[in-house]
Amino acid sequence: MILFVLILIASLLLQLFLPWWIIAPVAFAFTLWKGNSARQSFLAGFAAIFILWLGVAFITDIQNDSILSAKIAEMLFVKYSAILLIVTALIGGLVGGLSAWTGYLWKKASTK
Amino acid sequence: MKWIKAILSSVLTIGLIFFFNTKLGILPPLGKLLNPFHGFWANAEPTKTESEKSFSLTGLQDKVTIQFDDNHVPHIFANNTYDLFYAQGYVTAYDRLWQMELQTHAAAGRLSEIIGDRTLELDRNTRRRGMVVAAKTTLTQMMSDSVSKQILEAYSAGVNAYISSLSPKDYPIEYKILDYSPEPWEPLKSALLLKQMATTLATGDDDGQMTNVLAHYGYDVVKDLFPDYPFHENPVIPVGTKWNFEPLPTPPQPKDFIKPISNAITSLSKFSRANSSLVYNDPQAEKEVGSNNWAINGQKSATGYPILSNDPHLELSLPSIWYQIQLVGPDVNVCGASLPGAPNVISGFNEKVAWGVTNVGSDVMDWYKITFKDQTHKEYLYDGIYKPVKQVIEVIKVRGKPDVIDTVLYTHHGPIVYNEGMQSLNGRTPIGCAMRWIAHEPSNELVTFYYLNRAKNYSDYVKALSYYISPAQNFVFASAENDIALWPNGKFPIKWKEQGKFILDGSNSAYDWQGWIPHAQNPHVLNPPRGFVSSANQFSADTTYPYYLGWEFSNYSRGERINQRLTSMQQITPDSLRMLQNDNYNIHARDVLPQLLSYVSQNQLNKEQLKAYQTVAGWNKQNNPAEIGPTIFYVWWQYFSLKLWDEFRSTEDKPMRMPNQDRTVKLVTTEPTSPWIDNKETEQKETLADIATQSFRATIDTLTTKKGELNPESWAWAKYKSTTILHLSRSILPFSRKDIWIGGGRGIVNATSERNGPSWRMVVALGPNLKAYALYPGGQSGNPGSYYYDNMIDKWSKGELLDVVFLHKQTEKNERIKATWTLTH
Repeated sequence: MILFVLILIASLLLQLFLPWWIIAPVAFAFTLWKGNSARQSFLAGFAAIFILWLGVAFITDIQNDSILSAKIAEMLFVKYSAILLIVTALIGGLVGGLSAWTGYLWKKASTK
Repeated sequence: MKWIKAILSSVLTIGLIFFFNTKLGILPPLGKLLNPFHGFWANAEPTKTESEKSFSLTGLQDKVTIQFDDNHVPHIFANNTYDLFYAQGYVTAYDRLWQMELQTHAAAGRLSEIIGDRTLELDRNTRRRGMVVAAKTTLTQMMSDSVSKQILEAYSAGVNAYISSLSPKDYPIEYKILDYSPEPWEPLKSALLLKQMATTLATGDDDGQMTNVLAHYGYDVVKDLFPDYPFHENPVIPVGTKWNFEPLPTPPQPKDFIKPISNAITSLSKFSRANSSLVYNDPQAEKEVGSNNWAINGQKSATGYPILSNDPHLELSLPSIWYQIQLVGPDVNVCGASLPGAPNVISGFNEKVAWGVTNVGSDVMDWYKITFKDQTHKEYLYDGIYKPVKQVIEVIKVRGKPDVIDTVLYTHHGPIVYNEGMQSLNGRTPIGCAMRWIAHEPSNELVTFYYLNRAKNYSDYVKALSYYISPAQNFVFASAENDIALWPNGKFPIKWKEQGKFILDGSNSAYDWQGWIPHAQNPHVLNPPRGFVSSANQFSADTTYPYYLGWEFSNYSRGERINQRLTSMQQITPDSLRMLQNDNYNIHARDVLPQLLSYVSQNQLNKEQLKAYQTVAGWNKQNNPAEIGPTIFYVWWQYFSLKLWDEFRSTEDKPMRMPNQDRTVKLVTTEPTSPWIDNKETEQKETLADIATQSFRATIDTLTTKKGELNPESWAWAKYKSTTILHLSRSILPFSRKDIWIGGGRGIVNATSERNGPSWRMVVALGPNLKAYALYPGGQSGNPGSYYYDNMIDKWSKGELLDVVFLHKQTEKNERIKATWTLTH
């Protein structure tokens, strides 16, 4: 849980002024430090970014009355804004999860 | 093993990030685009909220305030001219940056830098037409004038102040989808934009096709079927207007001018439609590009003061062509439509006067066959001696590919757009010919609009127009002093009759442009007895005008209808003029449909065809959206013309063109036994009745195949024509508006066709109670994520106008002002 919270908060803050892929070093670094198992690390990284991206995108979308998300959904052939929200969150989640998992694997490899 | 696992997972993760961060083919970089912090979500702005802002900008000389009204129109108040244009540049970039850059990239032949080799041939064509050379010539002229220099530099500085305030997350969404960044603005880009307008409005390159017709059928046929003045006309300058000047002599018409330049005939290239979806300014569409404007005087209006109307028709696009703005400075308070990328208001009004523009369409692009000394193309023949050819190297950058280097040959006439052996983009540009084009003349149209924006009366207006070169426009004018006027205005070469109707001999100076019509001798009219002035791209003047301006202008239909209506209207209000802007009456159908119907042999029609016949016969000739009549008539007329003029069909290596609509109407209504009626490919001798009946049957069969049996749903005119406003990318369809329910059409006052239409509609009632109404098919914001991206389209399609907020003073309270920006230096 602590891992999840740390990744989420650090990613939120750093993404305000750094490119989106900063989530990868963040998830990597925190699992390198606090990762306990491959499964726990991946889930923490995945869930933190998934929820963060979903939340921010959702709030933005509500304020925008889905004007833009409807158009981008059509452009990317996913049809509905809701699906686009999930796709958005999945992309973030996947990168976050994999980075976290990699962090844990490095930790395991470097401890003896 | 552990290390291998760690390394493998690292590679996988880094690979995935790389994939999500890179544009692959047309697939945008998904991570970059979709992440909610910097991706497209950052462009999804909260709807309909304007916020108060206060910030400082380096380069401003004094305080500027920008008030936004409830339609997101900026009203700029500045204490000096520099700040006024700085702020116009800033706020226009704020709403339209991507559009400004894309359009000027297109004008400079630089689309391939963004798009890749899909647009290479388009860029090559743009470069070879000398667009960059022309823009640089114009820029030199603009920079040598202190007024325009200051305007351009201020505007540029404003745009750049906005660009430099952006971080990637703030970029307009198209940058994110296409994955690139904005570059700094420069005055050259404003010059390029004006040249792009000339490309849209002042080109006409059917000289090659006409030469083919001449070679094939001879001059007598050309004279008969492609006459220099139409059968039906209702010219811009009212018939009977006196020309109060002594015309300059016209150079003599060379004896051999009707001898076709034979080399050019076989060397016209094959049709080669570009394989790109990004073809700007399709020349095929050019004859449809039209516009209306008119002004009525105080006697005809309910207010006792003039009322002016303008609706320029262009190929509609999103972000919108126009950007509405009010500019208030020490010597000006002007409001109207501006072009994103160009300073000033182009069509608008101030407290004293109003003006508007439609295209003239005179022939200001000619083609000269060049005789080279030898294969090196270093020298060309001119009046018996050899003159050197100038070479200009064009470097076209292509995204993801090496640069393409192109050499363009220039003669004193202009650039050779396509050398022997090359393929032209539109299949019509004559090969091996130099292009003489008005847009290559040094010009400074900016000062025209600068002075028009500040005009107080008729003489200010005439002075402003005297600076204008191209693309020639019919400038309509009305003032609070109760003057109304109209000048078809631009720089026109003095031509001998029919000069430039065919490809010209580039080796003989008798074929050159040999002087210019003095500005005061451009056609014009002030306060005509009929009480109104109007223009709709038809002939500027009748045959009494002493100069030759061109042999073909837009069909008279819109002008005829406008003049007919304005003649009968009295006690005119802005609302009655709004209704005239939306008039759907089909003059062409009035002129020819009864005759055409009378030729159809009804006993040769099957049940379906007969039903359609009765439908179109009972049609009220209004191109209203739900009518079926216009659908049938429109398709029928095309089939009928093609069948009638089968002799003029283009072949692969010989592009020709058909006589125009006006000449066809003349044949149908007055020459029922013309030899052209017979189809040469069949053994029997066709009559007009045969052609009419056969084409009618084909029309109904085709429509039935495409749209099902005749029914009010799918055969409705609006459904058939399916007016669509495309996003400028032409490829991002969700940013476009499709199938808009609207009537009108080509040749209709409401000139809304499949892609073209009224791009700005304005009605201004002058006088002490100044009141203006306007809108355009789009919205003030260029951001597809904004409520203001397309919020006016529905109102536009219904023919409504919006009240324009016009502030007389900065301190004036107006409840429609929603937010104020305060800019300090």
